Parts: sequence; structure tokens; C-alpha cells
Amino acid sequence: MPDIRVEHLSKSFSGTRVLDNISFTVKDKEFVTLLGPSGCGKTTTLLSIAGFQTPDQGRIACGDDTFVDRDARVDLPAERRNLGIVFQSYAIWPHMTVAQNVAFPLRVRKTSKPAIRTRVAEVLALVELGALADRYPHQLSGGQQQRVALARAIASSPAVLLLDEPFSNLDAKLRERARDWLKALQHTLGLTTVFVTHDQDEALSMSDRILVMNGGRILREGTPEEVYRQPRVRFVAEFLGQCNFLTGAIGTGPDGGVVLRTAEFGDGIAVPGHYAGPSGTIAVRPADIEISSAVEPGGPDTGPEGTVLAASYLGDHYQYRVAVGTVQLSVRSQRPLAHGPVRVRIPPNAATFVE
Amino acid sequence: MMSTIERPSEVTAQLARPRARWLPASAGQALVWFVIVALVVGPFVPLVYSSLRSKPIYLPGGTFTLAAYRTLFADPLFARAVRNTVSFAVGTTALAVAGGTALAILCTRTNLPGRKAYRLLLMAPIVIPPLGLIVGWLAIYGQSGYITQVVGKNLHLPVWNLSSIAGMSLLGGVIAIPIVYLTVQASLAGTDSSLEDAARSAGAGPWRVITRVTLPMLRPAILNCALLIFALSLEILGIPLFLGAPSNIDFYASYLYRSWSGGVNPDPAFVSAGAVLLLAVVSGLLILRARLSGSEQRFIAADARGGGSHRSLDLGRWRWPASIGLGVYIGITCVIPLLGLALMSCVRALTTLEAPWHLFTAENWHLVATDATLRRSITDSLLIAGGGGAATVLLVALATLIAHRSGFRLRRTLAPALIYPRAVPGVILGIGFFWTYLMFTPGALVRNNLWGELIALCVRNLTLAYVVIYPSLARINAEFDRAARSSGAGWWTIARRILLPILRPALLAAFVLMFITLLSDYDPVVFLQKPGTEVLGVTMLQYWQRGIVGPVAALAVVQVVIVAIVLLLGARVLRRLRRA
Repeated sequence: MPDIRVEHLSKSFSGTRVLDNISFTVKDKEFVTLLGPSGCGKTTTLLSIAGFQTPDQGRIACGDDTFVDRDARVDLPAERRNLGIVFQSYAIWPHMTVAQNVAFPLRVRKTSKPAIRTRVAEVLALVELGALADRYPHQLSGGQQQRVALARAIASSPAVLLLDEPFSNLDAKLRERARDWLKALQHTLGLTTVFVTHDQDEALSMSDRILVMNGGRILREGTPEEVYRQPRVRFVAEFLGQCNFLTGAIGTGPDGGVVLRTAEFGDGIAVPGHYAGPSGTIAVRPADIEISSAVEPGGPDTGPEGTVLAASYLGDHYQYRVAVGTVQLSVRSQRPLAHGPVRVRIPPNAATFVE
Repeated sequence: MMSTIERPSEVTAQLARPRARWLPASAGQALVWFVIVALVVGPFVPLVYSSLRSKPIYLPGGTFTLAAYRTLFADPLFARAVRNTVSFAVGTTALAVAGGTALAILCTRTNLPGRKAYRLLLMAPIVIPPLGLIVGWLAIYGQSGYITQVVGKNLHLPVWNLSSIAGMSLLGGVIAIPIVYLTVQASLAGTDSSLEDAARSAGAGPWRVITRVTLPMLRPAILNCALLIFALSLEILGIPLFLGAPSNIDFYASYLYRSWSGGVNPDPAFVSAGAVLLLAVVSGLLILRARLSGSEQRFIAADARGGGSHRSLDLGRWRWPASIGLGVYIGITCVIPLLGLALMSCVRALTTLEAPWHLFTAENWHLVATDATLRRSITDSLLIAGGGGAATVLLVALATLIAHRSGFRLRRTLAPALIYPRAVPGVILGIGFFWTYLMFTPGALVRNNLWGELIALCVRNLTLAYVVIYPSLARINAEFDRAARSSGAGWWTIARRILLPILRPALLAAFVLMFITLLSDYDPVVFLQKPGTEVLGVTMLQYWQRGIVGPVAALAVVQVVIVAIVLLLGARVLRRLRRA
């Protein structure tokens, strides 16, 4: 089974650089997500792998096949790359039934009729649509259409599955179910998968590895935990959910570890790892900041005092805006707190350095 | 849920990757491209060439010279024809723009009773075969027309002269009104009705809203179609040949036609020179129009979803008078001429001096049924409309797919090539084809048979198929193609299995439009028709000029009936296709 190797990919559209020397590898059977805001180059990357866009520079290979190599003047047409792809619009052909849609990749490959019948039944059973084989696309719900698109993509047993924002047309509830289901399917079939999305929840919950992209570059690459806990780049930290940033002087704490000192946090915030330089910026997730009522007995007596400026109730937690000196922090907490003075604490290991 | 997912069976392990085609997709695409470009550009090369030669190109010798252009400008008849044509074009454009705009506003923005039915009926002048309408008008409103006689001879009132430039402009305007109507209506549908609502909230009455808000917003659309109609009016042939003949008024196209067919020398070079000049003027006007209107307006229909529902302006006590007036207009311009046509085909002579039932005769129809030439005209025209129409739609559909859905290198040249033939005056295209068939060896194969006329008519009208097919194609999501390519399908497979099947309703609509147009078009073949290869329009023209009017009326009735049947059938099949 193949891996996908993307090397030094660059692409410009009328002077704007959409891809800027991108390289990454998707290992065999791995689920890799390209995550980023619109215009970051993630879809261009996917379409380059699929063969619908030709990069200006670079090379894409899959297993033993070179898909495109600008230096060697190789550009395998899309129809010969043997990939499965699910589009955002699903692109289910409206004039064909579900079964005919799924059979198309097989018919193009001149598969025998009985073999087509067997395989179509098999794939439709896999996506739990066996009963709807003779329906036309307009008779299906959004979730069913998405599964038809997936069935068609895997009908010819491609080695690689490409997913271009396949959940964006589903409503929130259905999206979560489809996510689990697709991940399970990918795992069972052992498909090497490239997934494009701008939704951090989808990326975090499904991926083996996430590549966060912006401005045509890969800013951060790693497992969901790595990318979320140690974003390394301010943009990545912000894109993967809310984040507070504090800038201050680097110093050494009482236990010898690295601390960041600001006017508000004079005692210093313990930050894991090393840092070279006189000053730095840290990122702290709202849920990692501890706050408690200043008057509460038994509350933490360390940490500076702050003031709750605004509070909103979000069901399973409260979201607060807390002013500490001149900075405002957003804090997420389970406990209800009144407006007024609070004590704020950033525990060790909650913060991470970002550029 | 996970337990239901199983590994694929062994069947799929044997699946090969898709086979490479022996012929690259681009070779077939290049063939289609070449056919289109050769057919569209081909005729103009010998046309320009022959206008610059001292002798007809089929004779040996001859040198390059501008003599033909000098002859043309020295001819006082030519100068008069140009003046007539310009007056006619100005009159026609003014009438069509004023009438079409008023009708469009009436039918789409007011509470006019019966506006839904009128929206359809107003299209009649472009659906009725043009010669049928012209002959019908002559039969009723011409010098010796039925109503003219009633008014003049029976009531002793002053009568009009349809064979004047004003009279011809009137008919020209009536025929052009649907074009303005459609353009303005599309523009109205695309504008935000809240702009008008705002004016009404500010206290403006319906009349003020129309004159101060609606009309100014329509200015680009009106300018756009005014230029189009002006350009089309310059090349009109049927009106001067039928209506202008009694008072010896020639227009540009009829001047060329008469000089060609009635000249002392056959195929004079100054006719080619005249054609080249007209071609330059019309092309210039249409390029100007494209510049002015910008690319966003060209395919308004492609996304004319518009600005929501429009609340209609209240006409108040003018509602019913306006509605009745519109009904009378349609009656006078379309219904009565068609009835006159039918009457004319059944009588010895159309006169008020004797009751029509005394003059009743089946002779005209008998002649149509028995005369070889007349019968051949009908069968030939049906052959061209059916066979030529189907072939053209197929070719244009492929060309449209190549132009907009392929990676073919020269694809961008195809869209202009598909638009151009309709922009060229039909007579000029005809002269071009005449020279092409004469000059090039393969041309000889089609010169003396129906193929030559079929090709000229189909090339002239292929634009119509394109303008129907392209907006439908533009609405098909490009991810359909991509999904098919990822499935392993090459370009031709995608065209055959995905895009053409989805386009089926548009292809049928294009065929219906091609059929009714090919059945009644004649401009491009007036120079190509030979005994034995007659088509309806040219036969009607020739018989009319020989004074044989009864059978012409009968042929016109045949045309109208066939068009009506095809339209009805087409609409039915289209409804079924859309429902499926």
C-alpha cells in the first residue's frame, strides 16, 4: 500500500503565491488533515494531488507512481491516478441512480457486469445504502448523498482517498455522526487519506496527523495533541480554538525552570521547555486558567487579582472576560462567579511558547 | 456501527487502472475545433479575395485591384440603398426599443390583466416564420391588401403605404420588439425591486417610479439591444424584397441580391465588395456593443435569479384599457396577418370587390401537393431542418464542451467562433459560401446539391444552439467532471456519459430552436439555390417575384403549421424530460 510524498510544491495564480514550497508525506494507511482558513492553499494542494491543478514547481508521488514532477515533465492525467475523491458538493451525477453512480468507476475500467454487480452491492452495503440502490440523487437526504459519494470514491478500491470538506453541507448533529463513521471506515479499509477542512473539531477528532496551513505554507505539523498543546506559532494557537497571549520577560523560577514575568504576573508563569532570548510570548487556553472568587475561603492565595468584566453561560461552562491589570483574559470555568474581584492563576504546564 | 464495515472482497483486487486511450482526447477535440473554425472562418476568405480581384475567381488571370469598391461607390443606386437602409434601421430601432421597453414594463412590473398570457403571445413575431409574417402583412395591409382596400375603396378614407420606408420600419419594429422585450425583461428581473419600493415609500406614484427609477436603471440594457437591432436591421433582406418592390425601394441587402441575380455579368465583384463593407460595419457595431455591455451582461439568463419577488405597480383605471390595447396590438400584428395568409392560400385573388367564398379555390393547395418544385421545397426544408438541425446541435454541443470544459489548447477561440456566424449578415455568409464552394475542391462536392445549402444554413444559425446550450452547461457543477475523472474517465467518456446526458433538456430545446429557424431561414441560400435543390424560403421569394402569390401563401401556411406542431411537441417532450 502506498504513501503520498509531496515535495517542494509551489503554485501561483496570476501573481499571488498560493502554495509556497510545501513538502509533506502521508504514510500508508494514515489519515492526514490539511487544516487552515479559506485561501490558505489546502484545497489547491488537494487538487494538485488529484490532478485537477498542475503545480508550478515540485513533485508529487504515490507509492511507485510519480503523479507530477515539473522537473521531469511528468504530469499523469487525473483519470489515471487511481484515487477516490469526495467533493464538498458530493458531485453525484443527477441523471444516474445510486447504483449507476457507484458502478461508474468500475464501468470505465471495463469490469465485467457480474463483477460490477457484486462490487456495487458490497460497497453500498458498506455505506449502509443497499436499500436505496435504485434511487436517484434528488430522492436522497444530504447524509445519504454524502455516503453515495463515498461509496463511489471507494468502489474501484483506490489506494488513496481524498476528502474535500465533505461535512460542510451537513447539519451539526449529522456531521458528528458522519465523522465517527467515516473515520471507522477509513481505519477498517486501511485507506491512505488526505482530508481538507477549515473546522478544527473535525481535524482534531479524525486525524492521525494535522498540517496547519496559512498563506501557502505549512505552519505546524503533528498529532492532534501536539498541534493543540504546543502550537508553536501564534496563528496555529488561535486557529485551533480560543487562546490568550501574554508577552513578558524570560527568567528563572525558584525550581530552576523557565518562567515568564509580566507586570501583572510578577511571580512569573512557569512554562515547560527551554527558551533562548530576553523576552517571549506564551499561549494559554481559556480552560487552563484557574479563577476563583477572591473572598472564597480556601481559594488559591497565590496569583494576581483580577476583575470579572463579562460573563456568559454556555451550558456546560461559563465564559468570563477577566481584566488583570492592563490585560484582558478569556477564561473558561465550571464555576459560577459574580462580577467583581477574582484571583487568577495560570498553573505550570498550562502555557506554551509561541512565535 | 463499526462492526458492519468489512474489508472489500477479492473481486476488486483484480481491478486494473483505467486503460489509456489509443487516441489522445485532444486529437478528437482538435478535429471538432477545426471543423467549427473552418466552417465559420472559411467563407470569408474567398469573399474578401474576390472583392479585390479584377476578374471573377473562376476565370483565369486577373489582378488585385480596388476597382470593385470604386464601382460600388460610383453607383447612385448604391448610395440610395444605403440611405434607405439607414433610415429604415433608425426607424425600426426606435420603434422596437420604445415598444419593447413599454411592453416589458407593462407585463412584468404592473398588475395588467392577462399579463401571463401576453408574456407568451408577445414572442409570436420571432416564432412565426418571417416570410409568413411578411406575406401575411402584405395580404392584409399591403397596397392591395384586404384591409387597405376596405379602408380605401369601400370607406373612401386615406390609406397608408406599407411599401414606404415608414411602413417597412413599422413591420421591422414589430419583428424586433420581442428582442427588446426579452432583454429588458431579463434586466428587470435582475434588478433589486427594493430600489423601486424605496421610491414608492418616498411618495412617488407608479408613473414617477417608472420614469425616474425603473427606466434610468434600464439604460445599459436598452442601449445594448438598440445597437443589436440597428446592426440586424442593416442586413435585412425579406422586407425590402417583398414590401419595397412595389415602390422600388432597395435596401443594402436587396441591392446586393438584385445586382447579383439581375446583373449583366454574373457574380460581379462589386457585390463581394459591398458584402465586405457591410460585414465590417456590422462587425464593428457588434464589437462596440460587446464593449459597452461588458461581459457580465452577456448571459443574463445564466443566473437571472433576480432580486426577490416584485410587487406590481397599480395601473388603476388604466388596467383594462391597457390590457385591451395590448390584445388589439397582438391581433393586428400577428393574428390578422396569419388569418390573411390562410385566406389568401384558399382564394383566386384577395379582394373586397367580391365575397371570398365566391373566389374560393383549392388550386393553390393542389399545386403545392403536385408541383415538383413546391413539393421538393417542403421536403428539402424538412430534411435540412431535421437532419441539419440534429447534426448542428451535436457538433455545437461538443464544441461548447471543448470551449468551456476541456484543457484543449485553443479552446478560447471557440466561443467567439460560435457567436460570430449569427452576427454576420446572412446574405454575406451566402456569398462567402458561394465563392468557397467554387474555389476549393471539396466545395465542388456540395456545390450543386442540397448539402451546400444545408451547410450554409446550419453554419449561419449554429449560434442559436450555442446560446441555448452554454448557459445550461455553465450551471453544471464542475465537480461533476472532476468526480468522473477521478473515477478514471477520460474527456470523451465524461462528455458522453456525464455532461451530454445532463444537458439533454438543453439539447432538445436547442434542436427545436434550430429546427424552426432552419425551416424558415433563407438569407444565406438565396445565392446557392439551384433547380432541384429548392428550400421553402427561396422558392417563396422566387414565386412571389414572378407574381405567383397564392401558392406562396400556401407554403407560408405550411411553414407556420409545421413550426406550431414542432413547438408544441418540443414543449411536451421538454416537460417530460424535466420531470424525469
